[in-house]
Amino acid sequence: MAGRRLVGPLTLSLMALLALVVLAAGVGSVQLGPAEVLAATGRGLEASLRDLVGLAPAAEVSALDPGRRVADTIVWQIRLPRVALAALVGAALALAGAGFQGVFRNPLADPYLLGAASGAGFAASLVMVAGGTLGLMGNFSVPLAAFVGASATVLVVVSLARRGWTLPVVPMVLAGVVVGSCLAAGTSFVLLAAREQAAGILTWLLGSLAFASWERVGSVLPLVLVAAVALLSAARALDVLQLGESAAAQLGVPVEALKLTVVAAGTLATAAAVSVAGVIGFVGLVVPHAVRLALGPDHRRLVPIAALWGAGFMVLADLVARTVIAPAELPVGVVTALVGAPFFLMLLRRGSAA
Amino acid sequence: MRTTQTPSDRRLRRRRSGLRAVLGLASASLLVSVCGVAFAAWPVTVTDDLGREVRLEAAPQRIVSLVPSHTETVCALGACERLVGRDTFSDHPAAVLALPDLGSAFTPDLEALVALRPDLVLVDAYSGAADALAPLGIAVYAGTPQRLDQVFELIERLGRLLDASTEAEGLQGRLRGELDAVAALVAGRERPSVFFEIDPSPYSVGPDGFIGTLITLAGGRNVIPAHLGDFPLVDPEFVVAADPEVIVLADAVYGVDLAALQARPGWAGIAALRSGRVVELDQAQSDVLSRAGPRLVEALLVLARAFHPEAF
Repeated sequence: MAGRRLVGPLTLSLMALLALVVLAAGVGSVQLGPAEVLAATGRGLEASLRDLVGLAPAAEVSALDPGRRVADTIVWQIRLPRVALAALVGAALALAGAGFQGVFRNPLADPYLLGAASGAGFAASLVMVAGGTLGLMGNFSVPLAAFVGASATVLVVVSLARRGWTLPVVPMVLAGVVVGSCLAAGTSFVLLAAREQAAGILTWLLGSLAFASWERVGSVLPLVLVAAVALLSAARALDVLQLGESAAAQLGVPVEALKLTVVAAGTLATAAAVSVAGVIGFVGLVVPHAVRLALGPDHRRLVPIAALWGAGFMVLADLVARTVIAPAELPVGVVTALVGAPFFLMLLRRGSAA
Repeated sequence: MRTTQTPSDRRLRRRRSGLRAVLGLASASLLVSVCGVAFAAWPVTVTDDLGREVRLEAAPQRIVSLVPSHTETVCALGACERLVGRDTFSDHPAAVLALPDLGSAFTPDLEALVALRPDLVLVDAYSGAADALAPLGIAVYAGTPQRLDQVFELIERLGRLLDASTEAEGLQGRLRGELDAVAALVAGRERPSVFFEIDPSPYSVGPDGFIGTLITLAGGRNVIPAHLGDFPLVDPEFVVAADPEVIVLADAVYGVDLAALQARPGWAGIAALRSGRVVELDQAQSDVLSRAGPRLVEALLVLARAFHPEAF
């Protein structure tokens, strides 16, 4: 039974993720003891719950002693949302990567294959130059632009590649590459034209989880959940698809509907991740491969475990990014690439040796 | 046991009592504003470059500056002791080097920043820090001067926020006077045509930006037309055709020098290269020119000396 072979790895992965989250919540540029972190988390949870059910806060914030107030702010408003956002973004990218690799039957497929990253980058940089000062959506104008840019780009790519009601894979990949490089050129132009904002845009493009907040976590969570459910329900069909499209069709898999579902779900997850964290590479490419290597290619296992490993990998990468050269911060995309690239090359070497 | 006071003792005591007076005044004003009685102008509201209202209930005593020119402005207003943190690039005046370094302005170490318990944070308008700090209940002023008049605007705004309006007026008056004095030195002289290179791409500066305005005040004629914007990327051909009489290299700190310009195709014939009027700025000179702040007269002097060495 696939079920029994899933429960073990799933439990282990969940426990590992939990351990990583606890570690990441405990470590930061400001040293706080485990007791302080726990107490601050408790107070933050309590305050949010009271807020949720409409109760008055237990104590006036200003009444707390300053040291405790600072610890509360650091743990509950800066560090924990950042860890949670890292986990969500990592899970989303790994889910999208697993889905795209399955549906395109291509080991090099990653969440940005269909131009989502370039679309998000172009839209976000435009808004940073033009809309930032307008303050249209305030805090959310850049994430919203990135989300719309990513989704719209994939929509354009899909409609360019479709033949009637079918979605041939090769034209879709080609259209993704071409539209992607076109938009990347647009982003480069914006970067060069708006020199004052270039540093801010570049920081965003390189990917960062700085400035995470519970609002951002809340805005992304439902999107990632929907994508996860869709991909999980497509997992069995993805397994059959690996036999080839015509064989899968003969076995009763609605191939075109499957492709559309996976592309839509993967794009939703990618757009959600990119909107709050910028373009973070290698997670979506490497994590599904690592899971396949460890547990085999069965998508019913691959999809959920990749989500958990992606979350854990991202939490770890962000922990490295924000602590290793503190107070300065490494772009988290640099960390994932530095770890991911050698790992991927190792996989390639192994693959060619086998 | 010493029975007589040395001058340094007296100075120390005076400073201590001064500090006590400041603290007393601050707590008194806090008390008064809590009681809801109008005292001085508090609370103070200033609109920043993002169009947001920065409201302070009392003069800030723990300021974090994440922009070098803001750091310099705060110190020029006599409030250097109220700074508790800075970004990596804030290195002037030297006293601020002792402050905790919070990293770059675009990805500051938020945890360390919050741990400093600041009551005012100064950030660049294009840094996401402004959006991140406001929900934490920390007052944030976002905005970096890009033009000469904005330097004076920032001095005025910070003067009000820091309860240092008198100092701000004094500083503005002094800077205006010094700018006029330097401008008078070079007035009436032949204005050399100038190409100002920021980096070897080559990026240059338009006439309306901070550096562009200083070039005009220093008695130079920028070869870049206004419609190209404040930081245009220019075609090297354009520079050859414009044939500037002086070239200022702000990228000299990155290794660009006269020899490098001579090696560029077609550049050897440019007037500035033939006469040798290529000015290689050192790090300190590049800093004062790239930071639109209270050292703008130093920046102006760098240029005026380059354009009119005979006037000094």
